[in-house]
Amino acid sequence: MAKRIAIVEDDPDQRANYRDAITKKGYDVDSYASREAALEGIERQMPDLAILDIILGEEIDAGFQLCRDLLVRAPTLPVIFLTERIGEIDKISGLRLGAWDYLPKPISLDYLAERISSLLRINEVRNATNAKESTTARRVGDLMLDQDALLVSWKNQPMNLSGTEFRMLAKLVRVPGHAVSYETLMNATMQSLVTNNTINTHMRNIRKKFEKIDDGFACIKSEYGFGYRWSVQ
Amino acid sequence: MKIGNRIRGPRLGTKLLMWGLVLLIVPYISYRQLISMEQLLIQGQSQAQLLTAEGISTLFNGRDDLFNDLPIRIEDYESLYARPLQSPIRIDGKDSDWGTVAAKYLKFGVDSEHALADGGFDLVLGERGGQLYAFMHIRDDAIVFRNPEYLRLDTADHIRLNFIQDDGEDGRVVITLGEPGVTTAYRVGPEWKLAVTGTSENQVQGHMEQAPDGINVEFRMPLSMLGSRRFFGLAYGDVDDSGTRAIRNITQTLPSAGKTSFNLVVLRSPEVLNIIQGLGYSGARILVIDAQNRVRAETGSFTMSEERTQVDAGLVFATRRWFQIVRPAVHRLVMWQGWGEDALAGDSEAVLNKVIESSLRGDPITLRSRVNDQEIIMAAHPIVSRDTVLGGVVVQQNIEDILAFQRAALEQVIVLSIISLLVVFVVLVAFAGRLAWRIRQLRREASAAIDSRGRLRANALRSAMNAGDEIGDLARSVSGMLSKLQQHNQFLENMPRTLRHEINNPLNTLSTSLQNLADENPMIQGSKYLDSAKRGVMRIGAIVQNLADAANLDESLEAEELEVVDIQQLVENYVANCRVVHKDCQFAFRGESHPVYARVSDYRIEQLLDKIIDNAIDFHRPNSPIKVQLDAQKDILRITVANRGPTLPPAAEDTLFDSMVSHRGAEARNRLHFGLGLYVVRVIAEHHGGSVRGMNLPDGSGVVVIVQLPLANSVGASARVNGEVAAAAH
Repeated sequence: MAKRIAIVEDDPDQRANYRDAITKKGYDVDSYASREAALEGIERQMPDLAILDIILGEEIDAGFQLCRDLLVRAPTLPVIFLTERIGEIDKISGLRLGAWDYLPKPISLDYLAERISSLLRINEVRNATNAKESTTARRVGDLMLDQDALLVSWKNQPMNLSGTEFRMLAKLVRVPGHAVSYETLMNATMQSLVTNNTINTHMRNIRKKFEKIDDGFACIKSEYGFGYRWSVQ
Repeated sequence: MKIGNRIRGPRLGTKLLMWGLVLLIVPYISYRQLISMEQLLIQGQSQAQLLTAEGISTLFNGRDDLFNDLPIRIEDYESLYARPLQSPIRIDGKDSDWGTVAAKYLKFGVDSEHALADGGFDLVLGERGGQLYAFMHIRDDAIVFRNPEYLRLDTADHIRLNFIQDDGEDGRVVITLGEPGVTTAYRVGPEWKLAVTGTSENQVQGHMEQAPDGINVEFRMPLSMLGSRRFFGLAYGDVDDSGTRAIRNITQTLPSAGKTSFNLVVLRSPEVLNIIQGLGYSGARILVIDAQNRVRAETGSFTMSEERTQVDAGLVFATRRWFQIVRPAVHRLVMWQGWGEDALAGDSEAVLNKVIESSLRGDPITLRSRVNDQEIIMAAHPIVSRDTVLGGVVVQQNIEDILAFQRAALEQVIVLSIISLLVVFVVLVAFAGRLAWRIRQLRREASAAIDSRGRLRANALRSAMNAGDEIGDLARSVSGMLSKLQQHNQFLENMPRTLRHEINNPLNTLSTSLQNLADENPMIQGSKYLDSAKRGVMRIGAIVQNLADAANLDESLEAEELEVVDIQQLVENYVANCRVVHKDCQFAFRGESHPVYARVSDYRIEQLLDKIIDNAIDFHRPNSPIKVQLDAQKDILRITVANRGPTLPPAAEDTLFDSMVSHRGAEARNRLHFGLGLYVVRVIAEHHGGSVRGMNLPDGSGVVVIVQLPLANSVGASARVNGEVAAAAH
């Protein structure tokens, strides 16, 4: 059975473009123009993945609100924000809401399709590993990293990282103690238009998530002018 | 700035002060007016007085008889003229209280050299209050005082008075000289030897004093003793030998030609006096003079009673007194001459003589004079009869009481006008000061509303907003301008975000449509037009993103958490990483040997360094090192990045760090430069409480960018750092 993707986008042209492109990839697509319509539709049939624009018509934060409502109903639902609101603050608040990814417009449709399939796969793996111990897990000191399930734990405490954050962390710990350049980290985000600043913001968020669990966390080191380094304590 | 630009003329307050000074012309002109008015009044008074004198003189015109009322022609006698005395006389043997009359001595018994011989005397006669006064200075080489043992009165030095009484009989009185002091007089018989009666003649009172060369005798007698004819003679009997006591010599005022007739005591004519008696008026003295310059009649007095001059009281009087004190200075200032120098012809005596002389010549005259601080006008008019001058009428009028009131009124007017002028002036100055202060305040606030970078600091003014006047209007209009400017600024600030928002959606439509188009039509896949269309879409996206980032910088910096970081290590690591990243460039670093702590957001400092180093790399001359230097001073640290290469244009140093200003040449246009890099540097430096400036190297070989940041203040910061170090060591 084809996976069901919900797209919420108020601009009819873009909505049509997404729908066409994603349908072509073999997914069932429900597209909605407003928050109310989306809630109604999703209520009827829960999708496997949701792509949300943030500004819907007159409602500036409709996407965020929708994300909250969806995650209440289905906590494991992968949510992707696809929006023109690409300020750091929006990005951070979107990811904090529990969105899996935050993609800025303009987007490459191929890339979008890739993200969709990747997230769906990860979700599947995750659901599967709930039953059995992961085989793709990797351990770096106190850090446990499950590449397929996008699961991270630090000192045996599970952490909730966004997809982008996970990929960046995975790049960082590939060779512990080795500095990773901004460029490498940018590639890891798999997003267009990434600046050093974006990387720094992500890194700071990752660091904060670690510090929430462990006050003494100091493994992520800044290599000013170059990138970051994972130092083993 | 050039001096010429700074000096633009006087300030508002100075200007108003200068214009206010023009008001001083009002008291100046008023004072001159006052002076000329006063002169006019005095002139009118003089005229009136002259008319009075003329009027009186007409009473006497042709009345030769009044002046020649004496039975014998006056030329036949050596007249003893009794001058009117101004002040009361004390009979004390001293002539000091005789005033100017004392100088008019007549000499009797002179030797060939016109000096007094032994027994000769100087005599002066005066008249006051119906008494005849005489003062004699007698030269006597051997004074023989009277011995009361002798009954005969001529056995010692004595004075003989001879006159014709009212009843036509001869009157003879001898003044005996006992010892210095009061004299005694006796009526004597025709032989001048024995007293007629046993008692002394009390009406003749005298006093004798010894002088170095003789004696001074002063005495008086009632004029009534002399009768109406006023025949009067006087002689001094000189006794030198106290043994024989014989009269050695008699010096007399009687004609020396042996005539037995008397000298004449000439006094003011009673008839003339009677005529002018009724003419006297307050503050005026009228004199009638005969051709021999003798006062024939006198009435009135020009001296003012004390209380009349001081009737004023209270504030008006005080201002008047004050004005009297300052008036000489004011007068000198305004009229360019001393106070009281004008029009006053000298002391009253001299002036009196002058007017009398003039009138006796036949010329009417008026002159002003001053007696005891009181101004007097003397007018004199001749009395004529058949082309001969019989005499003159002098009217001396005290004009104080006439002028004082008018003068006081005028003085008050001028004093009050000066005071009100001063008040107006002060109020004007205060008003000007207040006005200038308000304008200054407004200017200060208006210029503070926009900072040196042209950014708006306030969107409204506070001062003078409620004032109803033009300054209030100005403040409201400036405030309105500011708020409009702020709206516009806000619009401009929001523009990149709005633009990004508005552009990204159609851009996304464009981008996704292009992709769907390519999917639908596989034959256009790989077409160069599709590629260039995609590149264009990416490029627009990048531009909009950059603009929005720069516009959001201030906002996102606010959200940044600051922590104490060792800048020394940060910069050292950064430069080390630069060597790795930019392999084609050389970097030289010189830092401090100790940690340099500052309270910063390390990502932002990194971003700042990125921008400066990017800039330096873009402009550096190949194979020349980019020099990075860190200095820590007392409470600032300085990061210096210098590169050799093209220099900044002269005007660029000020605008280098402004938004959207690029001093790159046209060849760099194909890269994504919006003049935002160095703007970001400035915003970050200023967010950390620091500053940035760029300049050419002194030798002109390149450019240096200097960032200054404040050091973390010692105690709290080091504690924090120690804590972190301790935490890290765990």
